Amino acid sequence: MKRLIAIVEDEAALRDNYAAAFARDGFAVRGYANRAQALAAFATRLPDLAIIDISLEDEPEGGFELCRQLRAMSAELPIIFLTARDSELDAVSGLRLGADDFLTKDLSLAHLAARVHALFRRVDALRKPESAEELLRRGALTLDAERMQAQWDGQVVLLSLTEFWIVHALARHPGHVRNRQQLMDAANVVLDDNTITSHVKRIRRKFQALDPVFDALQTVYGMGYRWVE
Amino acid sequence: MSLRLKLLLLGLATLVLPWGGCRYAREMESALREGEANSLQAVSQTIAASLQGRTDLLYRAPPPPADAADEPRPDSGAQQATAEAFDKPGPDDLEPLALTAAPLLDGYGDDWPHEPGAWANFRKDDHHRFALLSGVYERMLYVLLDVHDEHPLYDAPGTNTLDAATFGDRVWLGFDDAEGEQHQVFISATGPGSVSARRIESGEYGQRSAPVEPRIRGAWQPTRDGYRIELRVPLSMIGRSFGILVDDRDARGAAPVSYGTLRSDDLHTLGRLIVASPELSPYLTQFLQPGLKLAVSSPAGRVLARADALAQPLTLARETAILASLYRRFVDRPGERQVLESTAPVYDRDHAAVIGSLEVTQTADHWIRLRDHALTRMLTFTLATSLVAVVAMFAFAAWLALRLARLRSASESALTRSGLVTSFPETAARDELGDVARSFSTLLARLNEYTSYLRTLAGKLAHEIRTPLTIVRSSLDNLDSEPVGEAARAYLTRARQGSERLNAILLAMGAATRVEEAIGGAERVTFDLVPVLGSAVAAYRGAFPGREFLAELPADPVSLNGAPDLIVQLLDKLIDNAVDFSPAGARLTVRLRLEPQAAVIEVENPGPPLPLHVEGRLFESLWQSRPDGDSRPHFGLGLYIVRLIAEFHGGEAAARNLPDGSGVRISARLAR
Repeated sequence: MKRLIAIVEDEAALRDNYAAAFARDGFAVRGYANRAQALAAFATRLPDLAIIDISLEDEPEGGFELCRQLRAMSAELPIIFLTARDSELDAVSGLRLGADDFLTKDLSLAHLAARVHALFRRVDALRKPESAEELLRRGALTLDAERMQAQWDGQVVLLSLTEFWIVHALARHPGHVRNRQQLMDAANVVLDDNTITSHVKRIRRKFQALDPVFDALQTVYGMGYRWVE
Repeated sequence: MSLRLKLLLLGLATLVLPWGGCRYAREMESALREGEANSLQAVSQTIAASLQGRTDLLYRAPPPPADAADEPRPDSGAQQATAEAFDKPGPDDLEPLALTAAPLLDGYGDDWPHEPGAWANFRKDDHHRFALLSGVYERMLYVLLDVHDEHPLYDAPGTNTLDAATFGDRVWLGFDDAEGEQHQVFISATGPGSVSARRIESGEYGQRSAPVEPRIRGAWQPTRDGYRIELRVPLSMIGRSFGILVDDRDARGAAPVSYGTLRSDDLHTLGRLIVASPELSPYLTQFLQPGLKLAVSSPAGRVLARADALAQPLTLARETAILASLYRRFVDRPGERQVLESTAPVYDRDHAAVIGSLEVTQTADHWIRLRDHALTRMLTFTLATSLVAVVAMFAFAAWLALRLARLRSASESALTRSGLVTSFPETAARDELGDVARSFSTLLARLNEYTSYLRTLAGKLAHEIRTPLTIVRSSLDNLDSEPVGEAARAYLTRARQGSERLNAILLAMGAATRVEEAIGGAERVTFDLVPVLGSAVAAYRGAFPGREFLAELPADPVSLNGAPDLIVQLLDKLIDNAVDFSPAGARLTVRLRLEPQAAVIEVENPGPPLPLHVEGRLFESLWQSRPDGDSRPHFGLGLYIVRLIAEFHGGEAAARNLPDGSGVRISARLAR
């Protein structure tokens, strides 16, 4: 049975383009123009993944509301924000509401598809028993590439997909400096320097919430970042 | 010329007040003078009227005869006798001067007033002439007789004065007495010195004697061309007529050549003695005031009597001498007469004939003092007024200039802060300056709105364009999966390139907004600036192989409270700028310079100098000056970001040409 992807997007052309792309990849796609339509459909059947725009027709923050309602319906459902709004505040708000990723619309379809596949892989992995060989251990850090889950000292660090990929790219070769472009490639995004910087800051903050003396993610000024054990 | 100076000059214009005051004072003075002249005229006419018909007061008349019946003249004789005194004087009449002092009887004329017109000349021929000067002082008649004589001859000494053979030059005086009887005395001398007069008397037996007339005194002195006799005769001896006859002999006992104002046969007087009445002078004195001079003259113009108080000081308050003299210099015309004169004729009782004239002279001191007094006060007042006006204007100008200066500096700083006006001075003032300030304020507020609109325009535009661009890009992505012809694929590639460029432009346009966001969310930490810059410069060496990098960093740590990420971003932008404006292979210098309160990051690059006009605008949003032919998207945000980050660190950014003109130095000052 095909996985169902719900696209909540008020721009019909965009919605149809995304739908066409996902259909080509073998997914079932339903498009909704506003929150009411989407909720009505979700009441009948929950999709396997939801891609939500923040501003929906006459609701500038409709996507956030929808995300909260959807998360209330299902804790595991992967939710991706795909929006033209790129402010730090929106990203933080979206991720706090339980979204798995926050993406801006300049993302290419290929990158978007990569994410969707990754999230489905994670869903699948979460259903399977944990396999040790997929784990990457770097000191206190444990990365589960299948489940896209990071642990620090045995505690789960809740990272968005982009954040996980950044940590993964850095931790795979500790001590090696990864510049911003490399991190963007690893995270399947096209971002500008400041967005990378704020991603890194957010990652640090999440680790520091668990371990106040966390200092494994270092800035190499002028070059990029590195992971030290 | 500054406003202050202009208003000061304007204030100086009030100095026209004293000038106008001087003009006014001069006008006032001439009016005063005219009034004074009129009143003087009135005074003189009054006095003259009081003298009308008072010939007895004007002219000396002999006392009336004891027996009026013996008088050969009719009743009105006295009237007629005196009336003829003011007839036109004949050549034989003697009109003595009114002397102001008694001459010394020494035979020299140097103590007589120098009045050439007062001399009476008598001549028989070229060899026989004399000049006569007479005067009256204190009821005495003084006579100065200057006789031209080529052979002056004294009487033989020690001889009988009646022996004709011994006679030398003689001078006869003839006069009548109060009763009209004729008397004669003669004056002779045996040498220079004092002389006395003798009268010839016939005794009982025809015996003649020449007793000395002691009341008549005189002196005889030889002169270069003759001799001079000075005489004093009491007026009480003289009636109405007086005459002098000179007997000129060339040898003793010779027949004399007689000439003068006596009949040569019987020595009877020919001319009158026209003398003022002794009461006239006291009469005039009663009208006298300080600064006034009264003089009564005969119709011929000879002064009969005068009363003089011109020189007497006036009792007026003294002014400050310096000021008064200053004003006088201001006002008085040089050579101006400082006296007023008025003349009034004195008529006889019938107002038919002029019996004399009264001349009243008044010094100008009186009104000069008055005028000076007024002028002093006026000048003082007007000068004080001018001073107050000047001071007030200067103060006002200073205040105005201060306000204008504040307005100016406020507007200047408002402009350099790219329209970020917080408050503007003088907006509460109710005058025109307040209006200007308010319209400035409004203008700047609008400018501010507009600037911030422009600043956010890029971000808004980027946001608006993003969705349609995403539609284009996702459509292109989908098209990739569709079977398209080889020719169409080329177009597809170009469309993708174009959309990618458009995307890059959008990213650049939103950069400023994201930097502002990043600054807003930046956390300050205290860190060492030196290794941060060092590692960044090391990275640039790898990133820009076409440039050489020179780092001039202090050896000691430089601690700074701020955001290292932002500092590196700042340096990124400076280096981007320096690379863009420098030729390939150029050496870029990154320097960290320490100031007492700040750390200054400087980046120098060789290359074209900054255009003159850009200095202040270089760090504004959306401003750019790029080399031609650079097709990469630029929105002039690089240096704007530098400025934002420098301002976040409590500093500012500045751009200067290098002193030798070889390049540009851009510096960011960070407060420590």
